[in-house]
Amino acid sequence: MERGSAGLGAPFLSVLSLRDISGATHLMQSRGAFAERNFKYLLVGPAIFVLLLIGIFPLVYLLMVSFQGITMTETSTDFVGARNYAQLFHDARMWEALLHTVIFTAIALPVELVLGLAMAQLFLERLPGRQIFVALLVLPVVVSPIVSGATWALLFDHRFGPINQIIGWFTGDTTAILWSINPKLVYPAIIAAEIWQWTPFMFLLLLAALANVDKSQLEAAAIDGAGWWRTFFRIVLPAIWPVMAIAILIRGLDLFRLFDIVWALTKGGPGTMTETISIFTYVKGFQQFETSYTAAVAFLVIILLSVVVMLALKRVELAR
Amino acid sequence: MSYPARDPARSTGTQGKALSKPSEGREMSSLRRRTATRQAIRFAAAVAITLIFVFPIYWLFMISFKTPDEIYSFPPKWYPGQIHFENYAVLFKDGDAITVWNSLVVAGVSTFIAMFLGTICAYSLARFRTGGEYLANWIISQRMIPPIAVVFPIFLLFVWLHLVDTYIGVIILYTAFNLPYVIWMMRGYILDIPKALEESALVDGCSRWQVIWKVVFPMCRAGLFATAIFTFVFAWNDFLFALVLTRTEATTYTVQITHYFGGQSNFWAKISAMSVLGTLPIFIAVAFMQRYLVRGMSLGAVKG
Amino acid sequence: MADLKISALHKYYGSVHAVRGIDLQIPEGEFTVLVGQSGCGKSTLLRTIAGLEECDQGSIEIGGKMVQHLPPRDRDIAMVFQNYALYPYMNVFDNIAFGLRSRKTPRDQIEPKVKYAANMLGIQHLLDRYPRQLSGGQLQRVAIGRAIVRNARLYLFDEPLSNLDAQLRDEMRGEIKRLHRDLGKTMIYVTHDQIEAMTMADRIVLLRDGAIEQAGAPLELFERPATKYVAGFLGSPSMNFLPGRLTGQGGTLAVRLEDGTVLALPAARAQKLGNRRDEAVILGLRPEHLNRAQPGDSRTGLARHTATIELLQPTGSRTYATFTLGGSSVVAELQAHDVTQMNQKIELSIDMNRAVLIDPGTENVL
Repeated sequence: MERGSAGLGAPFLSVLSLRDISGATHLMQSRGAFAERNFKYLLVGPAIFVLLLIGIFPLVYLLMVSFQGITMTETSTDFVGARNYAQLFHDARMWEALLHTVIFTAIALPVELVLGLAMAQLFLERLPGRQIFVALLVLPVVVSPIVSGATWALLFDHRFGPINQIIGWFTGDTTAILWSINPKLVYPAIIAAEIWQWTPFMFLLLLAALANVDKSQLEAAAIDGAGWWRTFFRIVLPAIWPVMAIAILIRGLDLFRLFDIVWALTKGGPGTMTETISIFTYVKGFQQFETSYTAAVAFLVIILLSVVVMLALKRVELAR
Repeated sequence: MSYPARDPARSTGTQGKALSKPSEGREMSSLRRRTATRQAIRFAAAVAITLIFVFPIYWLFMISFKTPDEIYSFPPKWYPGQIHFENYAVLFKDGDAITVWNSLVVAGVSTFIAMFLGTICAYSLARFRTGGEYLANWIISQRMIPPIAVVFPIFLLFVWLHLVDTYIGVIILYTAFNLPYVIWMMRGYILDIPKALEESALVDGCSRWQVIWKVVFPMCRAGLFATAIFTFVFAWNDFLFALVLTRTEATTYTVQITHYFGGQSNFWAKISAMSVLGTLPIFIAVAFMQRYLVRGMSLGAVKG
Repeated sequence: MADLKISALHKYYGSVHAVRGIDLQIPEGEFTVLVGQSGCGKSTLLRTIAGLEECDQGSIEIGGKMVQHLPPRDRDIAMVFQNYALYPYMNVFDNIAFGLRSRKTPRDQIEPKVKYAANMLGIQHLLDRYPRQLSGGQLQRVAIGRAIVRNARLYLFDEPLSNLDAQLRDEMRGEIKRLHRDLGKTMIYVTHDQIEAMTMADRIVLLRDGAIEQAGAPLELFERPATKYVAGFLGSPSMNFLPGRLTGQGGTLAVRLEDGTVLALPAARAQKLGNRRDEAVILGLRPEHLNRAQPGDSRTGLARHTATIELLQPTGSRTYATFTLGGSSVVAELQAHDVTQMNQKIELSIDMNRAVLIDPGTENVL
């Protein structure tokens, strides 16, 4: 696309010499409109420079440090080979953290998706005051995840939280469930907070996608006698799949990086029961100061995520 | 449930059954009644769902106006007896409210810088296809980087540069982290502007820089605002980076909230008040760009 | 003295050779139309002249000055775009004044210039309106106003009337022509509509696949086309092409069509062609050269043929009649009352003086 004046050279110059050149016209090859060549690099330069700061530098650094032996006590920067990585593979806590993360993702994502889709379907047709509903439903998404976690901790509180109160209405006596401590209930608690905050995200995206479905296709299906379910699965879902794919990708990645909400509710506890891989990395690096080991973990996380993203992007591209 | 939102009198009814002739009056009115009932149910469901989603926010706001006695009472009252502003006053008195100011400075400045650098970069990508697909893909992939992986080396770098717990340090980081989003979104908005406007300006006597200021920026004004607000929200709501990179001077409100979580008990009054302080500005900002909400959240995939 | 001179211009889009070695000289004050099918390179050529596209080889001279390396703003040109390219956030006055302001024209000069241009185009009452409040025709006038207010040396029009409805287009064609007469500037106008080309141009440049097929005055291209492409492009409905063979007949040349029909050529033509018996040839006949035979018409060079009308397309004053001749479908332009029914038989006279003979191999006109 960018075939420049490379084709000029000798023929051009010979033609040029026949003309009356006033001013250094032949030197203006890189000036004027075609300084856009430099101009466009000037425009991206500063942004790229800043991006490299968090794009390249950390990667290089992590790679280097992960092969060193820096810990809380040991400060020498000698290389120790792949010791940290080997240690990583045998670290049960790390694998558990990974497992926890996967569990959160595997449960929350489908629920958000289905719930969001159902809500979008509900709000699709004309509804009085729809604008207001949608405006209100946006609120959970824009709240900080920390605030979200704090809010749900508040709701779940065993002494004065409304959830316990509501359960008490059903069971007949006062309940005081320690949601954030009771091992059986921490997962539901965290997942509840997560779903509360992000289902509206799915809802909004899917609502827009559903609204953009080609009406004439639906009308043709209705004339052909297709029932609701058939129309939904054969026509609507394929039509909104590209948007769904993007939404799944974005939310999936965010769930993998889950930190804030869990931190606010349980700090990864009780013990390490709800520790996600992000929390694990944080603890190792900023509480236990296992610098090199943390670098190895961080690098592993990056690689893992990149692979997942690349695979996902390929699927999304194919779907389009 | 028929798909196209049509006049109920012409709808094809449930399960795609054949439409009754308009001349059959009695059947018509029962169809209308069925549809009206359906409408009512839908409305009720909508109200119920919205209430469920809004309830936690209501609770949070409400708690912030209660006195500590009221908060810790059981069974909890679902409305405050009276609106007390004590909790907020305490925050200001203790100087904790300064963290909201810190958040504002840090999020605001980083948004401004990211918007400027990012938009001109986006222009280059959109009009000149600088770096082709590789650059564009690399940039968006930067958004996918897990913060936890990056925050560690950045922290060590900042220690070395004496940037920990400074405004500048956090600003640089937020700028860097938000640039991919800005570039990606603004590229989309710029691509929507007809090229002929810029070409006309070029012919009329504008330099390339002037074209950007005089034509591109005004034309994508709406997209600029929307993207700026989203970028601001991302920075404002951030926790992990702030947790790692600030200590006492540049603490943001999100980190401050976690300071109120004790081992044994939590200072709910302060938590809720600080949360509201940190959340209210966002609600107001988002209310202003409802139109661009979907596009901003879906990274431009949906031009809702 | 040529005002615009293009020499050996080449432009590539990746591997596509969009402009192939164009040589063109346009005298000052002339209205030149670049015409051709979509994708023939006319817009690319125009944009390269404007400086919106880089030229890969060759040179462009405007008023004796080499400009191919200058940005658009330094080429002393003005341009009117197909989609008007008006700034929606400025009113009409500011839109027109934009170019003047960009070039730092003194403020006291801007208003009179804008008003003058607006008066010339009849839009002086719209100066404080915004583009969204204007109709298509009004928008086009504002776009033209923005161009003429700058008093540039060269004016470029990129299919400006494509977005207007037919009636408006007719009106605007006349307006632009009038404008040219009043301003006397050199104008280059791109269109795919051959009627626009014919009615507006001092000179037509017909482009095909990036190269000039033929350039010259409209009537020259119409009456003396150089190739089959030119012959078929200009004229509506387009020329009929009948494959055949040259044969001798009674001392002169004639064309024998595939169905055996023989049409004699006038002596003057036969002389020019020389000795070309038995050569394959394509006979080109314009619909307007196929008329109802008038009894007692003694002009030379008219061939006669009886045709059975297969299709009629009346337009009011004329009727286009389709019939078969020489194995092909042929369209004749007749008077409305000549033919009123299908399957009617009618005697036609074919004006062989005006016929065009084309070499099937090279597609050049003989």
